[in-house]
Amino acid sequence: MRIKIDHLKCTGCKLCEVVCSLQHTEAVNLWRSRIRVFIKEDYCLPVIAGPYTEAMCNSKDVVLVEGKEIDGCVVCRASCPAKSIFKEPDTAIPLKCDFCGDPPDPQCVAWCDADALTICD
Amino acid sequence: MFGWKGKMLRIDLSRRNCSVEETPSDLIRDYMGGRGAGLKILFDEIDPMTDPLGPENKLIFATGPLVGTGVPAGGRYIVVSKSPLSGAIANPCCGGYFGPNLKFAGYDLLIIEGKSSEPVYLFIRNDVVEIRPAGQLWGKWATETERLIRSEMSEDFDEWELNNMSIVTIGPAGENLVKFACIMSDGGRAAGRSGLGAVMGSKNLKGLVVSGTGEVKIADVGGFKKAVMDFFEEGRANETLEKRRRWGTWSLPGRANKTGTQAALNFQSGYFEPFTKFEDPDFIRDSIRVRDEACFGCPFACSKRSRIEDLAYPGTTKGPEHESMALLGSNCGIGDLDDIYRANYLCNELGMDTISAGAIISCAMELFEKGYLPEKDIGYPLGFGSNEAMFQLMRKIALREDFGDLLAEGGNALARKYGHPELFMGIKGMGMPAWHPQGVEVIGLQYATNNVGGCHTKATLPFYEGRKDPERHVELTKQDQDYIAVVDSSVLCWIIYHGPLWGEKLLSWLQITTGIDYTENDLSLIGERIWNLERIFNLKAGLSKKDDRLPKRITDEPRVKNQVVHLDRMLPEYYKLRGWDENGIPTPEKLQQLGLEKEGAGI
Ligand code: SF4
Ligand code: SF4
Ligand code: SF4
Repeated sequence: MRIKIDHLKCTGCKLCEVVCSLQHTEAVNLWRSRIRVFIKEDYCLPVIAGPYTEAMCNSKDVVLVEGKEIDGCVVCRASCPAKSIFKEPDTAIPLKCDFCGDPPDPQCVAWCDADALTICD
Repeated sequence: MFGWKGKMLRIDLSRRNCSVEETPSDLIRDYMGGRGAGLKILFDEIDPMTDPLGPENKLIFATGPLVGTGVPAGGRYIVVSKSPLSGAIANPCCGGYFGPNLKFAGYDLLIIEGKSSEPVYLFIRNDVVEIRPAGQLWGKWATETERLIRSEMSEDFDEWELNNMSIVTIGPAGENLVKFACIMSDGGRAAGRSGLGAVMGSKNLKGLVVSGTGEVKIADVGGFKKAVMDFFEEGRANETLEKRRRWGTWSLPGRANKTGTQAALNFQSGYFEPFTKFEDPDFIRDSIRVRDEACFGCPFACSKRSRIEDLAYPGTTKGPEHESMALLGSNCGIGDLDDIYRANYLCNELGMDTISAGAIISCAMELFEKGYLPEKDIGYPLGFGSNEAMFQLMRKIALREDFGDLLAEGGNALARKYGHPELFMGIKGMGMPAWHPQGVEVIGLQYATNNVGGCHTKATLPFYEGRKDPERHVELTKQDQDYIAVVDSSVLCWIIYHGPLWGEKLLSWLQITTGIDYTENDLSLIGERIWNLERIFNLKAGLSKKDDRLPKRITDEPRVKNQVVHLDRMLPEYYKLRGWDENGIPTPEKLQQLGLEKEGAGI
């Protein structure tokens, strides 16, 4: 089971961030969410926290998404010392998506009413 | 504390200092937050007679207990101040992410007072508050200002931090104290009516940057999650909400026009032939839409970001919403979608309210066509449908150049100067919005009694189920006005919560989120208290019954459906239902019932 992201459907509502933080902290705190949404005037890009890296990589680059140039660090899923997201605001402990629920029931998918996030096998 | 943060931030621009105060518990109890709390603070702290553009006026950015919680369509904020356009209370509502970000930074309300001696912008991040110079930003258009501020910040913050900052700005119109300048935020959102952009400009305040890493607590997290999931389902089953999702307000211009209730040619008509093409709202969607753009926490994403192929109008903008399409389009005789886009784009970027700008320009167009306004005063012909002249005039208004300087003073100033005050279609100096009141006459009552002036967002329009029976129109107007005062104080989005899914929803969101056992009765009392305190503010600011009027065209000249609005019949009934005397002044009994004896003394 994986989460498929169709960023063209994303509206930037951030409900996925809300529910992920509720799931893990019982309060709304977007900086504790394991999913973050990068919002520009003409596109939105949900990014789900992947593994932690100890050091920043050398591949800082620009990637093309649907013809749009995006900073590689933005689309990168790693919790990395070089960027602000996917770490506890106070302690900087790295955060990673744990495919929440038992049995797994990814809350961000359930709350994405726009269907930008879906489950696929 | 659940819902509220319990803190307010006060910034004095004259003394260049700031302080953090506790949000008073009786303020929350009696006025909830948002529009109500902002009103009470303004009422207590300024003289209602004060010059709205003087340093004594205050500007209050207010959130409520539901803001930033993820309650669907609960991500908005209200700005409260005294309006330079109407001289009355002002409380425009705005979407985007600013409201939630203010809460995440730790504050329910932000109170700005005094006046800076030089252009500045404010930077607020959790407990760090800085007043930064903004000379380099002065004169810049709204989204350019946002871009420049982000690039100034990029040395200290990474892309994600920059992305999570909300930026509020004014354009040149606000700097130049145009009386209907708006406050812009998050790349095209507007706190539109009432001219509060000019209040910001008068304080030399070009912008605010707000972000925060804090949390908002919810009393019953389990109940909350379930209620949100249920709400998604209900939303999907609701036809009106599904229309909002697909078209936003773009389904309305065609419909209003077809039924002959669309403002056209300065309200001389309710129908404008070129708008028949909008009867298929996909025409608009397919022509200009870039993406659906939600406010924080909103599954409906009614806002549409748009673009046209014209190098003179680079990038994208938000809208045009129905109201803008009507006032800048049909009401000015402009039928081409690209031209309406251009006019809306200019308003957003120059920082002017689209509805007011359209109302004033259409008034000038009628004055010109009737021969009351000579071409030499303008410099070019300005009949209905003069697109290029209109774009040029908009820039001149924002910069207060030539003929634009007069229009920047508002519609009343323009119409009076040329001897025909009856030709400005405004109430309390504020231009009327899209729905022609002669379509359903209670709309006239709603506009005339609105405490902020000619605005449609403070009552429920009579098109919704349960709102159609003319026998109950006056009574429901009072009830809906009070209800929406609480919606605006919580703060929920009026577009979603004013009709189809209402009443019990507001109540249950407040209960689940705050853990307080509100009853329907508590809420209607809070709403009625807010409405009456706004009335008291207005009375003390020098407004009276004579300002609860409609333009003569609406009450005397049948332009739509061969009907006029019988305001003189509805108004006494309305006053009576409100517990006001025949002059529209709250009676001592009413004041006592609402606990407003002290506030209402001497009216
Ligand atoms: S699956 Fe769960 S933990 Fe992972 S991002 Fe979604 S909500 Fe957060
Ligand atoms: S919930 Fe879905 S639409 Fe909303 S921001 Fe997240 S991914 Fe985008
Ligand atoms: S319905 Fe529209 S305006 Fe209201 S919260 Fe949703 S996106 Fe914002």
